[in-house]
Amino acid sequence: MTSGKVLIIGGGPSGLEAARCVAELGGEAVLIEKRERLGGTPDRESYAKLTHHWRDASEAMAEMSLAVTSNSNVEVKYKAEVKSMSGSAGNFTVEIEAGGVAESLNVGAVIVATGFQHFDPGRATQYYNYYSFPDVITLTDLEKMLKEHNVVRPSNGEAPKKIAFIQCVGSRDRQIGNEYCSKVCCGIASKQAIELRQQLPDSKVMIFYIDMRMYGYWENEIYWPAQEKYHVNYVKGVISEVLKKGDKLLVRGEDTTMSRPMEVTMDMVVLSVGMEPSAGTRAVAQLLGIQQNKYGFIEAGGTGGLDPVATSKAGIFVAGAASGPADLDDSIAKAGLAAARALASVRKVMA
Amino acid sequence: MTDTLTTVEQILERKSHPVIRDASVAPTEDMHDRLLELEAKGEIILQRIKGDYVEFPTKYGRMKKIPIEHTWHHKSCGHCGHIPGYASSILWLHRQFNLDYHDPTDQTSCTGWNYYASGASNAVGQAAVMSRNFAAAYETGYFPMIHCGTSFGHYKEIREQLVHHKELRDEVRRILDKMGKPLVIPEEIVHYSEWVYAMRDRFAERQLVDMSKITATVHPACHYYKIVAEDAIYDPEIYGGQRTAVVTALLEKLGINVADYSTWFDCCGFGFRHVLVQRDFTRSYAVLRKIETMINEANPDLTVTHDTGCVTTLDKSQFAAKAHDRKVGVPVLSDAQVAALAMGAHPFRVVQFHWHSTDWRPFLEKLGINWQKYWDEFQGDLDQIRAGTKSGITWEDADAPINLTA
Amino acid sequence: MPTTLENWNPGKAQDRHPEATYEEKERLFLEVKNDVRYKDFIYGCYECGICVSACPSARFYDFSPRVIAQAIAREDVERIYDIITEDIWNCAQCFSCVRCPRQNNPGGLVTILREVSLKNGLQESKDALQGYSRVIYKVMLKGNQVSPDMLQPDFFPDWGPWVQNFSQNMHVWRKAIPMDSIRGLTDVAWRTDRKTLLELYTIWFESGNMDIIKELDESLYDLLTEVMQEELEEG
Repeated sequence: MTSGKVLIIGGGPSGLEAARCVAELGGEAVLIEKRERLGGTPDRESYAKLTHHWRDASEAMAEMSLAVTSNSNVEVKYKAEVKSMSGSAGNFTVEIEAGGVAESLNVGAVIVATGFQHFDPGRATQYYNYYSFPDVITLTDLEKMLKEHNVVRPSNGEAPKKIAFIQCVGSRDRQIGNEYCSKVCCGIASKQAIELRQQLPDSKVMIFYIDMRMYGYWENEIYWPAQEKYHVNYVKGVISEVLKKGDKLLVRGEDTTMSRPMEVTMDMVVLSVGMEPSAGTRAVAQLLGIQQNKYGFIEAGGTGGLDPVATSKAGIFVAGAASGPADLDDSIAKAGLAAARALASVRKVMA
Repeated sequence: MTDTLTTVEQILERKSHPVIRDASVAPTEDMHDRLLELEAKGEIILQRIKGDYVEFPTKYGRMKKIPIEHTWHHKSCGHCGHIPGYASSILWLHRQFNLDYHDPTDQTSCTGWNYYASGASNAVGQAAVMSRNFAAAYETGYFPMIHCGTSFGHYKEIREQLVHHKELRDEVRRILDKMGKPLVIPEEIVHYSEWVYAMRDRFAERQLVDMSKITATVHPACHYYKIVAEDAIYDPEIYGGQRTAVVTALLEKLGINVADYSTWFDCCGFGFRHVLVQRDFTRSYAVLRKIETMINEANPDLTVTHDTGCVTTLDKSQFAAKAHDRKVGVPVLSDAQVAALAMGAHPFRVVQFHWHSTDWRPFLEKLGINWQKYWDEFQGDLDQIRAGTKSGITWEDADAPINLTA
Repeated sequence: MPTTLENWNPGKAQDRHPEATYEEKERLFLEVKNDVRYKDFIYGCYECGICVSACPSARFYDFSPRVIAQAIAREDVERIYDIITEDIWNCAQCFSCVRCPRQNNPGGLVTILREVSLKNGLQESKDALQGYSRVIYKVMLKGNQVSPDMLQPDFFPDWGPWVQNFSQNMHVWRKAIPMDSIRGLTDVAWRTDRKTLLELYTIWFESGNMDIIKELDESLYDLLTEVMQEELEEG
């Protein structure tokens, strides 16, 4: 049976925006979320402040969630996952399981918003010893501590004095296979560096990078203040190894400006781990039978990239980081576009 | 449950799991598939492992087969020329379990040491040398097991080149035709330290020397794990699967305390050409970057590695540094020699300690081994050899394990 | 000379070797580029410095695998000539640089650069390999890189009294080794069949190796070819 409903898979920022848009444009949305709460990765990983507008992540996610849960045109199902799908644009039958109960949904369009997961630093080509040394942490680990205003060295509970960020962990690397740039890590690391300098004014923060990539307004709103106001040190030369020296960490790289190898000791090392398709993105892509690119993200773009939310199947759209690395602005914008396209698609069939 | 943990505890909990290596998302092509393709096209003979083998994960989660017996021992120049206890220990270990092996005379050096030292060769020559050796092994029916770390790395590199370049295969085949040999590639290129890793439980079962008082540092060989980085063994239980496992796993199994140090990933400084004609580099690097760091940070009784060049460099470089009052004096052994000693191999007839320069006597004394007794015994052998009443030491003299600490 | 659009090349290094013509330097580079392995060893380079960080030679010499990868990626023939004549013999060939995230192999590029240097008889390479001839002799003729009789105090003086002690006891110590393929041998590492050596000689001739030796050391070449050809004729 043809249906005007839009199914949105994933209740993170992209899914929430898509659902809200569909509802505001007069459509009906069903949003299914794997967890028992909305908010996606920013909620699950306890993000502190969102890059780049410095909005508190919990507040932002609460606002986005409320816009959806308070809208009668959106039905939200928790602990829900897709099991199988059949049909075509305008008339899809999707079997789901919500809270252990099987259910069959009849929808006209689907928006996949299953997002990303962070790269597992143990798979890095360089030797960062994340699973061996307590004081080597990732951006998400640090985000949790920043949120609580309690940044300490996991090894001894003391505030760190010297902190290093290592960029491009799990991205831009042919040996790992993730050849792409994860877009947001330079901005996030710089944002966290600023927060560290605010919370621990005695600390010295260094960022080791291949290229510093803060596009558009991130350059002047994050990069320049990080250097000029907060005196974060940027060194061009990414780190090849983190070893232990006594109770400190030894960080090795090349200072390419000086053209020589360098070794410095740090109290804490933060790995700027990149984005990979989440397990949900991989599973849903298979279940829906939509094409993935060689990295496992959902292939999007339409002809010549003019339709950034189109997948390989008519009636199925993608929003957010499920199709590739994305920042919050990207995700929200694409979610809106996906909502518009999804509604246009169902209305055409029903017309 | 995570709600009851503090943030730091949550972070530590996340870090307590080993890295997960999922072969289905491995970033490289599977060499096994490429070899099967070439075999199907009739371009190569693919030599398969006959008999028992064990499988272990490599860097991207794919499994590698390690044969247990019926192996063709591709010897190392450095072992046989300068550290004969290293090669003898490898074979002694095989003999303890009555494992069938072949020690060929139809084998040349891989010539990798010369190639990396002088560049006085080319891709075709090197590939032909490797292929000749593999064909020789194939003819005997025994599966090649490589003793030297550089041979292993060099052959991995050549395998990549042969698989990817038809013109190279054709050239090598042309040369091999002149000696009536086919182009053979074994289904795995196996390093003996991977066999030691596979056998470590069995070694520990027959351990006669208690090594729990020993602290050792591990030096992993560059050419083992850095060349064709995928093809090296990674074990989730060793270093959380983040560093190559082989030597550390053996030492831990024998009860040795393995200590970390901050130049673990550094090269030893062998340098191929440098160690022969420009040893100021080799010596400085080995002592300043490796030995002194080990002593300052770990104070080990022993350092253990799994390659010819590394044993040579680390062992022989320490003498000259003493004259400059550098901190030196850590004896150097290979994993095979440590395993053999643990199982009661004669320190001189088998492990051949006398070929090692850095003083090993404190190490043996700490183990409670009366090395003087065995040295005197060995001197007796030598006297007999000099007198002509004994032609040499044989496996008969050396096979039986000894309760060394009795 | 004023910079014009025609002669402006911002990536170009200073010309440190005016004795060689540009054409000569370009010819050498093209020889490198035509090696079958070249495309496997150089992709792009984003100057991350990981190769230098891991490189042992970078700590002891003014040596940079990053500069080598960059020079080759830019096809800067002048800089590459500088590298061939000044830097390639500092590389320890450890391949730590193969951790490059772009999958470049600076150590492998050095190997190709060395080969080209030797094939073209460059003096700097002959100088670097001074004292090395006996090793080439041993490996090409005997199929072993080293032998016990090379452990002499004159060749390894810095290895201390151990070498002296060894060389005095060499013959008897060599008999005291249980491995059949090694026992008693002092001029080679292990026993090699004659047929095996003949196959090795065939490889050296057929692969073009002997031509390289001829450029490097003519008297060594004469000696080796004489012995090898004699042996091959005997069959």
